[in-house]
Amino acid sequence: MDVRIGSEAKGDCIVEAHSDVRSNIEVETKNAELLRDGIRAVAQETLSSLGVGDVAIRVIDFGALDHVIAARIEAAVRAVTPGRGLPLHPTVDRKASERDRPRRSRLYAPGNQPRLLVGIELHGADCVLLDLEDSVPLSDKAAARILVKHLLATIRFPKEAWVRVNPLGAGGREDVTEVLVGRPHGICLPKTESAQDVLDLCAELSRIEAERGIEEGSTWIMPILETARGVLHSEQIAASSDRVVMLAFGAEDYTRDIGARRTTEGLLFARSQIVAGAKAARIQASDTVYANVDDEPGLIEEAQRAQDLGFDGKGAINPRQIEPIHRTFSPTKEELEQARTIVEAAREAEKRGLGAVAVDGRMVDRPVLERAIQQIKYAGRLAGGEDRDA
Amino acid sequence: MRNAVGREIPERIGSRDVRPFEGAFATSQTGAKAARPQKCAPRTEDKLLPSIEAAIEACGLSDGMTISFHHSFRDGDRLVNRVLDACARMGIQGLRVFPTALFPVHEPLVKHIQSGVVTRIEGSMNGPVGAFISGGGRLAEPAVLRSHGGRWRSIEAGDVHIDVAFIAAPQADPYGNATGIRGKTPCGSISFSAVDAQYARHTVVITNDLQPYPVYPMEIQQGWTDYVVEVDEIGDPEHIASGTLQLTRSPTNLRIAQLTADAVVASGAFVNGFSFQGGAGGISLAVTKFLGDAMESAGIVGSFGMGGGTKLLVDLLHRELIRAILDGQAFDLDAIASLREDPAHVLIDPGFYANYDSRGCATYKLDAAFLGATEVDLEFNVNVNTHSDGQLLHGIGGHQDVAAGAAMTLITVPALRGRLPMILDRVTTVTTPGEVIDVVVTERGIAVNPRRGDLKERFVAAGLPLRSLEEIKTEAERMVQPLRRPVFGDEIIAAIEWRDGTIIDVVRKVEGWA
Repeated sequence: MDVRIGSEAKGDCIVEAHSDVRSNIEVETKNAELLRDGIRAVAQETLSSLGVGDVAIRVIDFGALDHVIAARIEAAVRAVTPGRGLPLHPTVDRKASERDRPRRSRLYAPGNQPRLLVGIELHGADCVLLDLEDSVPLSDKAAARILVKHLLATIRFPKEAWVRVNPLGAGGREDVTEVLVGRPHGICLPKTESAQDVLDLCAELSRIEAERGIEEGSTWIMPILETARGVLHSEQIAASSDRVVMLAFGAEDYTRDIGARRTTEGLLFARSQIVAGAKAARIQASDTVYANVDDEPGLIEEAQRAQDLGFDGKGAINPRQIEPIHRTFSPTKEELEQARTIVEAAREAEKRGLGAVAVDGRMVDRPVLERAIQQIKYAGRLAGGEDRDA
Repeated sequence: MRNAVGREIPERIGSRDVRPFEGAFATSQTGAKAARPQKCAPRTEDKLLPSIEAAIEACGLSDGMTISFHHSFRDGDRLVNRVLDACARMGIQGLRVFPTALFPVHEPLVKHIQSGVVTRIEGSMNGPVGAFISGGGRLAEPAVLRSHGGRWRSIEAGDVHIDVAFIAAPQADPYGNATGIRGKTPCGSISFSAVDAQYARHTVVITNDLQPYPVYPMEIQQGWTDYVVEVDEIGDPEHIASGTLQLTRSPTNLRIAQLTADAVVASGAFVNGFSFQGGAGGISLAVTKFLGDAMESAGIVGSFGMGGGTKLLVDLLHRELIRAILDGQAFDLDAIASLREDPAHVLIDPGFYANYDSRGCATYKLDAAFLGATEVDLEFNVNVNTHSDGQLLHGIGGHQDVAAGAAMTLITVPALRGRLPMILDRVTTVTTPGEVIDVVVTERGIAVNPRRGDLKERFVAAGLPLRSLEEIKTEAERMVQPLRRPVFGDEIIAAIEWRDGTIIDVVRKVEGWA
């Protein structure tokens, strides 16, 4: 059987493969003299790591990085000879991330398009979401999960790398099994409707973690609530497992599900419900994406409203949206100063044995003080910078 | 011998003695400038000739002579091919072509080289002609590449004597005044030819829009012009953008642009009176836009922006974020319209903006400039001429002049282009020496030349992602198998002049691969 994987897009390659008596590698590339040998070396290494000696391949390169070529070859070989396994040793030593680290932005990137994945780790997103679900057409799903696995295994993410898998019954199991080889920080579970959905994913994760020698429970889960059922069950979903660190809202599917318009009012109930559900379980909540990439004022306004409601972050569909989102969800200089003043005043009051204290004519009671302490801590963590993969 | 950037260069290239590059500002000139022959036009001089052929004849153009052109129509130019076709028909051989630049549209030059009509080229060779020379196409002498300012200097200094300057003029009068900003097909300033017109033995203005005396502004003046020819077509202004004029949409390039703008803002130079030059590449355009927005929100008004004029620069002028544009060449039609309408959009020529042997350059008044590169090396040397496979495919443009002139020069370059790492141990060709490069901005971080500890401190304080070039290089190389490298033979196909006329590097023919 002949297969053809990949595309002619910049940064991608096409790999054609068929069974043969022995392996054979052909390479086509624009800068042939410069690149042919390097591409051939990647191909040889990939074939031998797959333990393949009987597949002929042709690599037609359009400027793909090594891990993209390796992923395309693996996908092609596995399509030709089903049953070949996952023998990939990640070159990145990725540590589990902290449960409550700041997650102001979650940047979606289509898991099937190398062109859009090059440098995706460089834009400062708190969570990069490599997507295998809505942005990947059905025919591309198998190759995309292999590509995402190789990307995770190669690229050092300064913050968090997540994968949005398909619903478990619709390819999600295969997604999780594949991508966990690349050791993402977490899995986004779309269209989550119940605590059971999360528990099913937990079971998969525990099984694979055990198989691959990964510490149990170290892979986080971010359920995405984007149906009426999901929104109504946000409290149980948030509390379903210690793996769940954040609830995310998906407005597009939600409005379709309930027949609402995507207006501030149309989304208000779901947003508030999700925030309350998340906060009841002491986890974070992330608002839906803002679809108009060119409208920065609109994005900031929506992000500000989300923050007012209690959200900790917001989705992004383009790297340009990250900076404005971070600006909105980070305490301002004035807020920080105010917080420091409050803490200072409270400390002073305690020293002098005073019960209550006022700052700028406002009574500082316990919730106000706690909020101020929280803000200072949060700002400290944001300033602490990146815990880069080794 | 080895020059000051460590490049091995011969003592002679073709028929010329080589002065090696000694440093960006190391040389100085003595003596007088060159001059053209005297000529006194009678009061009733009639300069109109019926055809290009008639002008060629009137100028006495013959074998072995030097002819020159400007590139203001860029990839839409029609004149170079027309003149050379005429020369070929008239049996002229052995010409030296001395354009301000060549573009893909000039591909027919290849056949004129093959038939011996053209045997030498001194000028930036973008595209097919460069590829032809790189691939073994023979010239009588190696090509010579000069910067905008370097070319101007070479004419004034008498390094190059032009026999006939052919000047495509979108509008001219019969007495030889000409402009590029009016007419049926305006292309922007044609002032690149002003030095040719003043120093060539004969100057021919060729226009497709002959208008009654006087035509203005006069980038080319009557006192310099011998003949005027009217033709039906000289160029297509739709192609002056050469396909480069698109604000980048690539997230990687936008990140580079944003980091560049952030670096400029953090540099200390970002105060009222700030001046800068931005090119026409996708990243440069985006930097110009981001800087404009930063100026607006910081309430800063710049003194001037330097062109190539673009719509983006014109927007800054109209938003009153800069007081003036100094514009040597237009990159789009909006810039040309603004040259006609905005008094603060000022026409300048390369002598004004970039000439090393002069009493002042506009580039020396620049606080910041952001320029592209094909390669950068660990010494901060920049290559804009050759690709990593050794092919000579691009000219210098104003790169050297602006980099040397600006108080802070930032190079915008992706660490990876496809599979090709762009930060190298040694660039394939040194176009611009690391001593005049202050900052290299990649998508993987910002590298500051160790000479600029002051900038480094400011960037750190601003929280910019500082890395060394070594770190950026290592990170990029992690993602691709090592490349093979071209092995160069002894044969020299082009000499790269520094703006003072010394040789900063040579391009040799590729003989194999390692």
